[in-house]
Parts: sequence; structure tokens; C-alpha cells
Amino acid sequence: MRPILLSGHERSLNQIKFNRDGDLLFSVAKDKIVCAWWSANGERLGTYTGHLGAIWTVDVSPNTVLLATGSADNSVRLWNVKTGECVKVWEFPTAVKRVEFTPDGSRLLAVTEKRMGFLGTIVVLDINYDDDLTNQAEEPSLRITCTESKATVAGWSYLSQYIIAGHEDGSVSQYDGKTGEQLESVQAHEFDHQINDLQFSLDRTHFLTASKDKSAKLISARNLAIMKTYVADTPLNSASITPKKDYVILGGGQAAMDVTTTSARQGKFEARFYHKVFEDEIGRVKGHFGPLNTIQVHPAGTAYASGGEDGYVRVHHFDKPYFDFMYEVEREQLRR
Amino acid sequence: MSRPGNRADWADDEEFDDPSALPAQQITTNKDGTKTVVSYRFNDDGKKVKVTRRIKTTVVREHVNPQVAERKTWAKFGLEKGHIAGPSFDTTSVGENIIFRPSVNWKAQAAEAEKTGGEKGSIKDQLRDKKVKCRICSGEHFTARCPFKDTMAPVDEGGAEGGEGGEDAEGGLGTGGGSYVPPHMRKGAAAGGERMAGKYEKDDLATLRVTNVSELAEEQEVRDLFERFGRVTRVFLARDRETQRAKGFAFISFADRSDAQLACDKMDGFGYRHLILRVEFAKRTT
Repeated sequence: MRPILLSGHERSLNQIKFNRDGDLLFSVAKDKIVCAWWSANGERLGTYTGHLGAIWTVDVSPNTVLLATGSADNSVRLWNVKTGECVKVWEFPTAVKRVEFTPDGSRLLAVTEKRMGFLGTIVVLDINYDDDLTNQAEEPSLRITCTESKATVAGWSYLSQYIIAGHEDGSVSQYDGKTGEQLESVQAHEFDHQINDLQFSLDRTHFLTASKDKSAKLISARNLAIMKTYVADTPLNSASITPKKDYVILGGGQAAMDVTTTSARQGKFEARFYHKVFEDEIGRVKGHFGPLNTIQVHPAGTAYASGGEDGYVRVHHFDKPYFDFMYEVEREQLRR
Repeated sequence: MSRPGNRADWADDEEFDDPSALPAQQITTNKDGTKTVVSYRFNDDGKKVKVTRRIKTTVVREHVNPQVAERKTWAKFGLEKGHIAGPSFDTTSVGENIIFRPSVNWKAQAAEAEKTGGEKGSIKDQLRDKKVKCRICSGEHFTARCPFKDTMAPVDEGGAEGGEGGEDAEGGLGTGGGSYVPPHMRKGAAAGGERMAGKYEKDDLATLRVTNVSELAEEQEVRDLFERFGRVTRVFLARDRETQRAKGFAFISFADRSDAQLACDKMDGFGYRHLILRVEFAKRTT
């Protein structure tokens, strides 16, 4: 496969996101602009300008009408995907590290940073899709305060029933999606190893966490049971579950601050493919010159994109061997 | 029509032969579904040129969600506003081909490939079982530390030592003889260590060096000039750092070597901006 290199950003990537149909890819980096790309050929559709600080996170509504971004300028912005206009700004006391729409797009959660005496919070904002997109509720409809350890990532489980959050201390907690009451919490990763990414499966019944403790875990959204563990030899920044084939893709690499002291080889800047069920590593894809900060798989499972500290997004459309690969037991089962 | 007045009959029109007129374009449909288009035109020297084109039309039908189809019509905005359709070269490029074959024991295979490739990391492994051997007395110490260093001459490497020993003495050097071989030319490093420019390494074979390029040349122009012959992966136009003018040479990498060969043949001696281009294959830098 020949990757498509997207070099629209001048600084390291923070998050990339495909829309639900997979035809568009959105990327945010530390350089204050959001880029929208056609995933098929890597053509840039446009940019969204307006943020005043590094952008940490991006998400697109399921109907690809609105785009939400969270930034270090303490705001969440809502954009019209088609025109690139900013339709709403919500100000917060601290930086916003993660935003995510509910599966139906009616609500948006935002994770705010713990800083300057403010505790980390998860807020939920109601989203309105009238003709006038600028008409959005001013106040959040729900606010969860993380008193113990701040949340670093969060997302919605199936049917928006729960909010699942990953914390700085390596724990994962489950909140009720309507009341915000904490239902469960497990120490999924090693204590004090931050969870850097949390991505759901397509049906949102389970999710994958990537942590600084060099492992990724597949966890059930219903009761937070740890189902699988994927062990890597480097801190992980991102992990994604592939639809269509039962794989997971992990990305990471040495912390950005240590990168210059080692060569690209030892830096382990590769996307690692694991089999989702057997937990074996089945291959790696090289390419980036720096750690991989974010990985996303095309919702149809035909491609994946990775964004690195080197400022590049690489879009890989899988070729035949990827789809053909099967374990012996899988093949046997198919024959029966 | 040079003689409009004294034409006798409209039927004569057929006979009437104007040397400046061009025959009409002919389109014939072939058996295999292709079309042959024969057209005529005058070239720059005023000579009549017959152009024969064979056109094959393939309809690729793709079914997409109506919403996706609707999105395809969206206009560009932001920094891309007003740009033409299609990926732009400053934001989008295609990387080197990656061979990705998932396999259960990929680690073993990767290690194998590394060993045969003889990359940096594996030199250690290669030398793991080897012992230090003195060239003078064949003892287990470095030649420089040999107690007989001053009294004996080194034994002839080729003859005295058999098989494995010969390899041993070379210590990973690609060539025989005692002369110094820089690290990157040693046998062990044949695959090349890591270079920042590693990205372009493999394209070297399909890279053309173009010299005698006008000072006023633009990268895009040069690209357009060469893109006719095949997919161009990289265009490098050397520019003066201060004046930003072209320095007179450029490198063009093609995706395919045969395209590069064709371009080399056709473009060598081509007149561009009052200068005659000289095109040749780029020589690998050492």
C-alpha cells in the first residue's frame, strides 16, 4: 500500500477523526487550524480558522453537519462542516482536552483540564441542528467534576447510556449518561500511568484504552470488565479497533521530549497491529519520523490514518494481504 | 475560400482542393470497443500533421450514500478557498510503497529480513559467535596486541586462512585489501543505515537530472513539462537562497523507471524558455 501523506500542519498532530461515512478526515494539531481532507485521495477540502491556541481534540457529528473542537485557548468551538464558519464558542476556565458527540449527535461532551485551582470536569452540551446552527444552548446540561484524578479522555457508550472516562492515574470510570452519577471505576492500567486515548468499537459496546504503561486494554462498556490486554514495548498514545477484520492498531513511541536522543529505529515510531482476539502482534507499519500521536480507522475498515509528532498525517488504504490474513483456526471454522 | 466569385457549380466544391484546408476529423469504432480518432493539424513549422489517437472508455460506477455524493459537490473553503479540484502538491503527496503482510510470526520474519539485509542492529548478532583472531599468530587477541607484532609479518590472508577465517579477518569489510573503507560502504551496511533522506533512496533509479534550466523556471512548470511522461513523485528545482531564482538544474523523480527513460529520451534537447534542456539520469551520490 502506498500511504498518502498530508502535510497541512506545521506542528505535531493531536487528533484525527473520520466522519461516519469515512469520506472525510479531520485533523487538528498544535498549530491552531483544523483541516478537512477527502480520505480517498488526500485532497484538502478546507480549513477552519479561529482558535487562538493549540487544538487538542476534534469530533464530527454523525450527520457531518457540525464539527466540534477543543483547544488550549479554553474554548470549545462548533463549526459548520460545509462552509468552515464557526457557529458557536463555549468558553471554559481551563483547556479542553477531549470532545465527543453522542452516537445520535444530540449531545456533546467536553473534558476540561485541571489547572489553576479548577478541578477537571466533564461537561455535556446539548446540540441543536436547526437551520440556524448558531442557536445553541449556552449552559451545559450536565457537569461531572472529577475530584480524585482528572479525566484525560472520555466517550459515550452504546445508546449514550454511559459516559466512559479514562483518568490520569490509569483508572477508567463509568458515569450515567443522564445523571452523571459515577457507577463504576476500575484501575485498568498501572497506577499513575495516564490513559492517552479511548476509542470505541463501531457498536460502542466495548472500547480500547491506550496508556503510558505500554499496554492497551479492551474493556466492556457495560461493566468495565477487562477483556483483552495488548502489550507493547513503548508508551502508547493511541489505539483503535478495526471494523471488518478483528485487529487493533496501537501507536506510540517514546515521549516527544526524548526523541532527539535516539534514532528513528529505537524510537519505535511504528503502528502496531495486534489480533483483537488472540492478542498477538501480527505486523507493523513504519513511516513516521516521530511518535504517533493519534490513529483512527476508517469506519468501513478499509483504511487507517495516523498522525505523528512529525506533523504528517499518513492515510493508508489497506490492500489485499490485510484482508486475507487469517489464523489457522479461523480458516478451519470458515471451511466448516 | 480563395476564389469566392467565379465558382461554377456547387458540385465543384468537392473537387476544389485548398492546400490550407485540413481534412475533417475521422472517428471509427473498433471491434474491441475502442475508438480511433484521426485528426489533422498544422504544427509550428506550418506542416500538416496527422494525429491518430486510440481512446478506450471505461465507465467505473460506484454506489455511495446520497449524502456522500452531495458532499462531493462542496466547494473548498478556508485556506483552500478558490483552489482547483484535485489534491494540491504542497499539502498532499504519495509516500513510498509499504509492504504490509500480517502474519502470526512476523517477528521472526522481521528478524530474518534484518539479518539478510544486514542492517545496523544486526551486525552485533552477526559478530556474536565470531572470535577475535590475530592476523599474525592466529591467537585470540587483536593484531595490534600481538606479542610477535615486531618480529613477524602478518600471514597471507587469502592463502593461509581457509573459509570462515577469511571472513573473520575482514571484520565486515566489503572489499579485501587493507585499505580503509568508509562505514557506509562496508558490506554489513550495504542496505544503508538510516538516513534522513531515506524517503527518496529507492526512487533514485527513476530520477532525472535536468540541467541548463532557465533562471526563471518555476517548479510547477517543470512538473507540468515532465508529468506528460508519467507520474512524477518529486520535483526539486535548485534555487538561489537569496534571490530565489532557479540555479539552473533540477531533479525529477518518476514513480516508474520506464517513464523516466521515456522522459529522458524525449526531453533531452528540448527547448524551454530559450534554453536547450539537457536531461540525463541522476547519478547516485556516494
